[in-house]
Amino acid sequence: MPKSALKPFLKYIGRRLFFLVLTYLVAITIIFILPRAIPGNPLATLLQRIAVQGAANPETVSNVHKALMEEFDIDKPIIIQYLRFIGRLFTGNLGTSIHYYPKKCLDVLAPFIPWTLFLLIPATLTAWIIGNTLGAVAGNKRGTWIDNIVLNSSLVISQIPYYWLGMLLIYTFAVKLNIFPNQGGYSQGIIPSLNIKFILDVLHHYILPFLSIVIAAIGGWAIGTRLLVIYELDADYTVFAVNLGMRDSTVFKYVFRNILLPQITGLALNLGSALGGALITELIFNYPGTGYILFRALSTLDYPLIQAIFVILIVAVYLANFIVDFVYAIVDPRIRLGQGEGS
Amino acid sequence: MWKQMIRPLFKNPKFIVGLTIFLLIVLMALIGPVVYPKDPTSFAGMPEQPPSKDYPLGTDTYGGDLLAKLLNGTRSSLYIGFLVAIISMIIGLLVGIFSAMKGGIVDELLMSFTNIVLTIPSILLAILIASYLRIRSLEVIAVILGVLTWPWFARAIRAQLMSLINREYVYLSRLAGYSDFRLAIEDLIPAIATYAFMAFILFINGGILGEAGLSLIGLGPTKGVTLGVVLQWAVLMEAVRRGLWWWFIPPGVVIVLLTSSLLIITTAMDEVFNPKLRER
Repeated sequence: MPKSALKPFLKYIGRRLFFLVLTYLVAITIIFILPRAIPGNPLATLLQRIAVQGAANPETVSNVHKALMEEFDIDKPIIIQYLRFIGRLFTGNLGTSIHYYPKKCLDVLAPFIPWTLFLLIPATLTAWIIGNTLGAVAGNKRGTWIDNIVLNSSLVISQIPYYWLGMLLIYTFAVKLNIFPNQGGYSQGIIPSLNIKFILDVLHHYILPFLSIVIAAIGGWAIGTRLLVIYELDADYTVFAVNLGMRDSTVFKYVFRNILLPQITGLALNLGSALGGALITELIFNYPGTGYILFRALSTLDYPLIQAIFVILIVAVYLANFIVDFVYAIVDPRIRLGQGEGS
Repeated sequence: MWKQMIRPLFKNPKFIVGLTIFLLIVLMALIGPVVYPKDPTSFAGMPEQPPSKDYPLGTDTYGGDLLAKLLNGTRSSLYIGFLVAIISMIIGLLVGIFSAMKGGIVDELLMSFTNIVLTIPSILLAILIASYLRIRSLEVIAVILGVLTWPWFARAIRAQLMSLINREYVYLSRLAGYSDFRLAIEDLIPAIATYAFMAFILFINGGILGEAGLSLIGLGPTKGVTLGVVLQWAVLMEAVRRGLWWWFIPPGVVIVLLTSSLLIITTAMDEVFNPKLRER
């Protein structure tokens, strides 16, 4: 990359980074305000409940109470509470779990996060690639039977929630046909270690949750890409290329590059809801990921742990957003070479 | 209006299929509980019975009648969907129209705000808000979902209005001394009406699916039966692994039929109203 081209690239990346950090600040401000602003003050209720339990088991409970008071800085003015909250988050201190006391939230969460990444990233990318390819083919062959099949089935499939498809898959392939295990990330009794037996076992458990996310997500991408292809095939540059007598495959190559960009942005915007869907899918499969621990934290009202999960999930979504922005800047010559601002 | 807009719609087979399915489900939700007046929350008979003459969709672990739950659940889910759509639509329209008409600093502030809300994963934030509320009525669930799902619509409305606002007829209205309000009502809103209607339909979808997601993670409405609540109990009672198909399949089928029929309607409308997509 020549030096003159580096500057707009850095400027773009810098602007995106600034925006994401700003959005992250807003997100953690919301996380801070919610428990303190909601009527009935859940935080106070929680502390009270722990204080009542203190009668039965004074020592541990008073420790929990003290740790909570300290972490939420209840006795300090709200602005100090806020500044200390932000300070802790930027130093990576996510607090202490109530349910798993005295474990730190981060230590509780650490074993669950890789499972979610391992499920979500390959599934989302696979769905994105297959969906875009299908949509591109359908849009290019508009009005033919291929287009009709892709469009009509996508319209229905895109509306199937990941988790319900997961239930159908469990019922069909695990309960009725008994080909795949019906729950979990690996068989009980197997000790997680890096040997071939464990890896095969994990993959065996992986197929159904993976498929439920991939299949349910394909339709949406296919519909979007098909529309974009139809628009691009109508654009002046395509009509010009066709009139010049270019081969269809060459024209399509230009079209494809142009539909890729909005679909990359779409991927970034979709990540949050894909994550939400994956969390619930994990729940259906009893898959040992973040969704499972979030459900546990929600049912025990472990607010510090709930907060920690949200901070981590939101950081993850923003990091992924930033990576997508980075890829976008590399793929889009307007940003790479500094002509125009891109979108 | 009839000739230009409504009639071509009814010549589109996709639109007719989508509308028929959607109306049938709405009818089922409105009339169903009247024709089949069993109480969805009370004990109806033997637990976990497969479908039979007495219980057309079987019963759950607590002996609840699943057909009664399905009919009432569809009604509540639709209600949440409509409320979510109304809330998102109002916020989205206000933000979009203000942004486009005022321009300048108002526009910049509103759009930054919109982009921030757009980037915060809405389903996660909905889960977080719901987790702090001990009592959640259907309306509360709708508000939580509604205040988080409008940003893409506000952005689209702003973009469309920006291209309208510099056209001659709007310019002439301004010269004629129209107030901003009158300009919005007479010149701008009619031009974006079909788009807004399509967005409204998609918001209903978002509301129905959002409610189901919240319910499954245990944060759905605490009072009343929705499709999500039926699914939640099916999961909690391990209906899937114990093969009680009549419990978890019907609510999912209704959700998919509802949302995909609505999506088919918007796709068909897009094909009819958007000259670029019109069949050639």
